[in-house]
Amino acid sequence: MEEAWLIPALPAAAFVILLLFGKYLPRHGDWLAIGAIATSFVLFFFVLADLLDDMVGTEFDKALGQSGIEWVSFGDFELRLGFQVDQLAIVMLAVVTFITLMVLVYSTGYMKGDPRYGWYFAAISLFAAAMLTLVLADNFLLLYAAWEGVGFGSYLLIGFWHEKRSATEAAKKAFITTRIGDVGLLIGIILLWREAGTFDMSEIFEFAESGGYSSEYLTMAVLFLFAGAVGKSAQFPLHVWLPDAMEGPTPVSALIHAATMVVAGVYLVARLMPLFAAADPIALNVVTAIGLTTVMMSATMGLVATDIKRVIAYSTINSLGLMMVALGSLSVSAAMLYLFAHSFFKALLFLSAGSVIHATERQEVSELGGLARRMPVTAAVFAVGALSMAGIVPLAGFWAKDEILNVAGDSQNFVVYGFLMLSVFITALYMTRVVILTFLGEPRDREAHQHAHDAEPVMTLPLLLLAGLTVMAGFVVFDGVGEALGFPGGIGEFVFLEGPEAFHFPWDVAVLSTLSAVAGLAGGFYFWSGAAEPARRAGELFRPAYEILKRKFFMDDIYQWAIDRVVLAAGGVIAWFDRNVVNDTGVDGSARLGVFAGFGMKFLETGKLPNYALAIVTGVIVLAIVFMVVRV
Amino acid sequence: MIPIENFLVLSGILFSIGIYGVLARRNAVLIIMSVELMLQAVSINFIAFAVYLHPEQFTGLIFAIFVITIAAAEVGLALGIILRIFRNKGTANVDEVDMLKW
Amino acid sequence: MSYEEVIFYFVAAVTVLGALGVVVARNVVHSALFLILALLAVAGVFILLSAEFLAIVQILIYGGAVTILILFVMMLTRVRDMPQALDGPQRPFAALAAGAFLALSVLAAVSSDWPGETEKITVVPFRELGDALFRIWAVPFEVASLVLLVALIGAIILARSEEGE
Repeated sequence: MEEAWLIPALPAAAFVILLLFGKYLPRHGDWLAIGAIATSFVLFFFVLADLLDDMVGTEFDKALGQSGIEWVSFGDFELRLGFQVDQLAIVMLAVVTFITLMVLVYSTGYMKGDPRYGWYFAAISLFAAAMLTLVLADNFLLLYAAWEGVGFGSYLLIGFWHEKRSATEAAKKAFITTRIGDVGLLIGIILLWREAGTFDMSEIFEFAESGGYSSEYLTMAVLFLFAGAVGKSAQFPLHVWLPDAMEGPTPVSALIHAATMVVAGVYLVARLMPLFAAADPIALNVVTAIGLTTVMMSATMGLVATDIKRVIAYSTINSLGLMMVALGSLSVSAAMLYLFAHSFFKALLFLSAGSVIHATERQEVSELGGLARRMPVTAAVFAVGALSMAGIVPLAGFWAKDEILNVAGDSQNFVVYGFLMLSVFITALYMTRVVILTFLGEPRDREAHQHAHDAEPVMTLPLLLLAGLTVMAGFVVFDGVGEALGFPGGIGEFVFLEGPEAFHFPWDVAVLSTLSAVAGLAGGFYFWSGAAEPARRAGELFRPAYEILKRKFFMDDIYQWAIDRVVLAAGGVIAWFDRNVVNDTGVDGSARLGVFAGFGMKFLETGKLPNYALAIVTGVIVLAIVFMVVRV
Repeated sequence: MIPIENFLVLSGILFSIGIYGVLARRNAVLIIMSVELMLQAVSINFIAFAVYLHPEQFTGLIFAIFVITIAAAEVGLALGIILRIFRNKGTANVDEVDMLKW
Repeated sequence: MSYEEVIFYFVAAVTVLGALGVVVARNVVHSALFLILALLAVAGVFILLSAEFLAIVQILIYGGAVTILILFVMMLTRVRDMPQALDGPQRPFAALAAGAFLALSVLAAVSSDWPGETEKITVVPFRELGDALFRIWAVPFEVASLVLLVALIGAIILARSEEGE
């Protein structure tokens, strides 16, 4: 497993080379970025094989997965720069390397002809390197650095078309919003370090399990850490950046804002589950509550969004909320299973939406419609993704969602369970809506419809691969499949933190969720097929509710008000202080003092040699007196 | 015999007179002469230390030889510079050559 | 008072008088002549320190070459022809600094506890001196000769008239 460090190092090297020499490489070096990530993907299998070799039954000695170097050492304090491979990291490695590879291949078609084609691949390589480092980091400092690196990569890519004002605004919004959470993460890390004196994760876990932290202290620390996850994973109330982040190129949305970066928050909570488990139960309740709020808000907002990418963005927030609920129910395996399945069908949804946008240059659903006839392949794979998101058997989304429903039903009260069932219905409803509005019915924009056609093979191939995985990925829940793939005891037992925990398949949950989903599908067809007359009437009937959803629960307005009234006012005071006290008095004042003193001092420079000689002799005499007094 | 302090005091007197000359005189040639006096004082010190305290090493004697050598070179160069200044500025007084200032 | 001490005080007095003459004389040529006197007296001091070789070198280089050079430059810069004050305005400070330094150095010389023999001179034979100069100190010796060469060339270049002057 010593080669694990190569996995992030390769894309990082690709980034550096592309940045420096990308202009001179044939095809702007896209092959280099793809080659680097493909090699990382291959390396993943070697690392996985090593990991399976090192396992004894279903047990795995974590120390075997660690590698690294000593970075800083002063006094008693040592800082290691290390990587940790374990079951959790393996799942993320698989997802990140594979999705990045798919997205890069797809991008060679999607981004063709873009003036900053090379820079696009460089930025994605940077992002991939940071994300893989984040996954492998075995201490909090490295994790935090990678966390910020991921945020920076996301910023670059959201604002990739920075000629568009909305893109730069969205990039800033994403960066600043997630930064609010990042500050919480940093505070949490510092709190953990203050008591334990180390940044190493496993040492901190041991420290927490041996009761080194008081319960209140640990609860406070994990809530601060959770704030980081809230920002990155677009949970309520910091979810506002993700829909706007759709200003970036669509493959970027697929990679960063669906399959990888936004699940970093989920991964963080999963990674730190020992801390959450050791803290007061209120911490997990907060996680559940935030997750559930996010699920309900995003699902309802998805109902009225008119931009195809935004609908998928809301469905992403919805999924992330589900994962948080699973984590709040102490089930890492359910969350990771959903993460795994979600990455395939969400990337599929984004990339096929990208094909639609690429072909029609429209992304408002009101200008699409009837595209199934023109783009049958895209329509088919999009439908597969949408059905998976809706949770229709036997697609990946169904198994993963049922597992979450199951653990939530077991460990949470019936309110949570009920809301989750409701969200399944709404999810199916809005996924059906977007499929119908985009691909079925009559084309609303004839001209766009005329030119639309399925994309070139380099873009279609990743779609088909992802669609295949969307169909099949769910079967890993069966122990037999997992064992056949070489995972002792099945995948469910492979990805665990606290004791063996297999996947369940209770019939009541499955039947109930399938009924909800099918009801959602039927409802979707009822409301939006044809001229969508029932949907219009429903909108009229519930006009206030419709308006609230349209305005996104006024979240953006609240933030805008807060920024205008609170942040800018406070900023004004600080700016006045900075201008008058710091700048005019402190900086300019000291500079003026220096000028004044220099003006006075220059008269000492007479230019006459005897004066200088006298000064030298005086200095010698003074030094002699000093030495004679102290007797050196 | 003469104790070493006698020579040291003599060298101190000579050096102080040299200091006075360097500081008080304004003609460059006179300043050079005062510097020579200071060098003589240093030589006396070196030799006295060598023959009294460390006659087995006599590094001070060697140093005095080098002091005389370097002093000869220094006088040659300094007088060349004085000549040049005199030709350019029409004076050999150091307080009249004060271009290097604000 | 042994005869050696008598000789020492005599030579020391001549040295100090010559040096004082250098720095207070009203006539620059007198200053130069006082300098010769002081340098010859210092040669005497060297002999008292039983460094005869250095005394000879002193007389040859200082008494001969250096003073002649100084007199030449006095002639070339026409110091005598210009009626002007030889002392600068900071003479009182100079006296003060020199006095302070004198007090300090005398104090240091008298009060210090010198390690080793302080009453008796050990004569260093010529042979040993020459031996050390060309064995142990051979490299500095060669470097010193190079310095002299460079100084010679530099002095010529500085002092030579440029064309058109």
